[in-house]
Amino acid sequence: MKYLIAEDEIDLQQSIAQYLTRDGNICEVASDYHEASDKIYIYDYDIIILDINLISGSGLDILKILKKEKKSAGVIIISANNSLNDKLEGLDLGADDYMTKPFHLAELNSRITAVLRRGKFGGKDLIEFHEISIDTKSRTAYVNGKSILLTKKEYDLLVFFISNKGRVLSKEIIAEHLWGDHSDLLDNFDFIYVHINNLRKKLTAEGAKYIKTAYGSGYKFIED
Amino acid sequence: MRKKTKLISKTSKNFLLTGLILTIFSSIVLYFYTKNLLQEEIEEELYSTEARVSDALENHKIVYSLPPVSEIKKVKKLRPEILKDTLIYDPSQDEMELFRELSTYKKIHDDYYHITIRTLVVESGSILLAIVISNISLFVLAFIFLFYFNTARNLKIWQPFFDNLEAMKKFSLTSKEALLLTDSDVLEFSDLKDQIEFLTSKVKVDYENLKQFTENISHEIQTPLAIIQAKIDNIINEHAINDLQFEQITSIQKDLQRLKQLNKKITTLTKIDNNQYVRMETISLTELIDEKIEDYKELDLHNIAHISNDELFIKMDPFLADILINNLVSNAIKHSSKNSSISILTEKQFLKVSNSGESSLIHPEKLHLRFYREDTNNRSTGLGLAIVRKICDLYGFKMSYHFEGHRHIFNIDFKNSN
Repeated sequence: MKYLIAEDEIDLQQSIAQYLTRDGNICEVASDYHEASDKIYIYDYDIIILDINLISGSGLDILKILKKEKKSAGVIIISANNSLNDKLEGLDLGADDYMTKPFHLAELNSRITAVLRRGKFGGKDLIEFHEISIDTKSRTAYVNGKSILLTKKEYDLLVFFISNKGRVLSKEIIAEHLWGDHSDLLDNFDFIYVHINNLRKKLTAEGAKYIKTAYGSGYKFIED
Repeated sequence: MRKKTKLISKTSKNFLLTGLILTIFSSIVLYFYTKNLLQEEIEEELYSTEARVSDALENHKIVYSLPPVSEIKKVKKLRPEILKDTLIYDPSQDEMELFRELSTYKKIHDDYYHITIRTLVVESGSILLAIVISNISLFVLAFIFLFYFNTARNLKIWQPFFDNLEAMKKFSLTSKEALLLTDSDVLEFSDLKDQIEFLTSKVKVDYENLKQFTENISHEIQTPLAIIQAKIDNIINEHAINDLQFEQITSIQKDLQRLKQLNKKITTLTKIDNNQYVRMETISLTELIDEKIEDYKELDLHNIAHISNDELFIKMDPFLADILINNLVSNAIKHSSKNSSISILTEKQFLKVSNSGESSLIHPEKLHLRFYREDTNNRSTGLGLAIVRKICDLYGFKMSYHFEGHRHIFNIDFKNSN
């Protein structure tokens, strides 16, 4: 996949690029409005990660160009401004998702895969990983064609794991993904362990042993 | 504290009191002065009559006695002159009358005479009374007139002061309305008005700056937070680190999460201050609470019981309604021990959230203050209830806290809200 990261904070831009390149994606970067607009005129991207407040212009104008040029890139807005208006305006102009800084790169990655999955790119509603396949429409998971019964959280967890396969996910990242702001109510993340363990058991029972422990307290979804 | 009196009634009271004292004092002075004057006149008259009588006797004229006004008697020897008051029966009026009496002894042509001259005092007494009464009435009339005149004038002079005082009472930092003050031709009042205008505009500007600053800070802080977050996410994936380092890094992540929450709450507070939540929708808080309880159930934290006697409908911004319920319930969760129950009660215009606790808060009046905490529970940002309070203030809800039966109880009364 080909990504464009339009973000004027070089450190953040590089960190995002570094994280996303690991899956073998091509990441191009743009550090200001002009660079970003030049690039989208010339090239086609699968995903554009767009900061709304670019130094020399607004990310919203980039969206307008994309719309005018009928570019089919999926756009995820990243903004320091948690304003509903910005969000609505961005989504109105054709952005696919909106994230408020700061965010976890794993979260960004799972949003990207969700955008890529959606029908807009002729994608299918199916996530596949070896013998595991997930129908995102009916929210059902199959192992070797056999459906396994998952709770809502276990399902979300599995999708999150597969989207970030091969990466270390700490309990904090997982908790934030599953419960958002409510996760700060938790004393400890012990009961995430319960959810993960249940999921692991259900998968292992069907022979899919992909959930591995990393560094003692983190998790990694990886093939043997 | 001393009793407060209104300015106008205070000055009026002083004025009337002075008037009363002046009237009494002047009447007393006038009474004695006039009385003295009259007495002198009477005595002068007595002496002059006596002189006429003795003159007539010297000239061998026959002088008749005319009791009680004058009596002339021959006596054997001379006695000292006496001037006194005496009561004499007046048959014509059938009563005792007060007379001033001068009795002298004179030797005229080798005869000794006792001459007694009297004059009626009653008459002068009435004159005295008339004078004093007219004095009092004059004074009273003058004071009443002056009182009304002064009060009316004072009211007019002080009016700009009172108007400005009212305007200041209504002054609010958060209000967009400008402070409208009345000018006056009284120099001091005009000065006062200028000073008030100067101070309030300075306070307003400072407040706006502070608000802007808070807004900017919380906005600016997000980018570095995002960078730290992204770098941490990369570190745990890219580098060969050991378990201990991983523990430490995820612990940093926890603190980062706290910082994020803090920042988010500050942003919410500033946005409420800036009146950025303007949507008005009728929301069923009862329903919202039920949804929230479902969310919390997944976290498997506490036993939350919700009793609804009547569905609670409130007109407010849906985002703020969500925050209101969220903060109240999460406050209850954070400050009660695990496995203890949290109960929520909704009525037509009333919401009650309670959780178990050891003892009452030490300073419940400080609950609405930002960053006020009574324990060092680091899960708490100290902003949740400040936000609840702010939302209540925004819509005119009344929030109260009390401790009863080992439970912290938070009530919100939605009556009289707009």
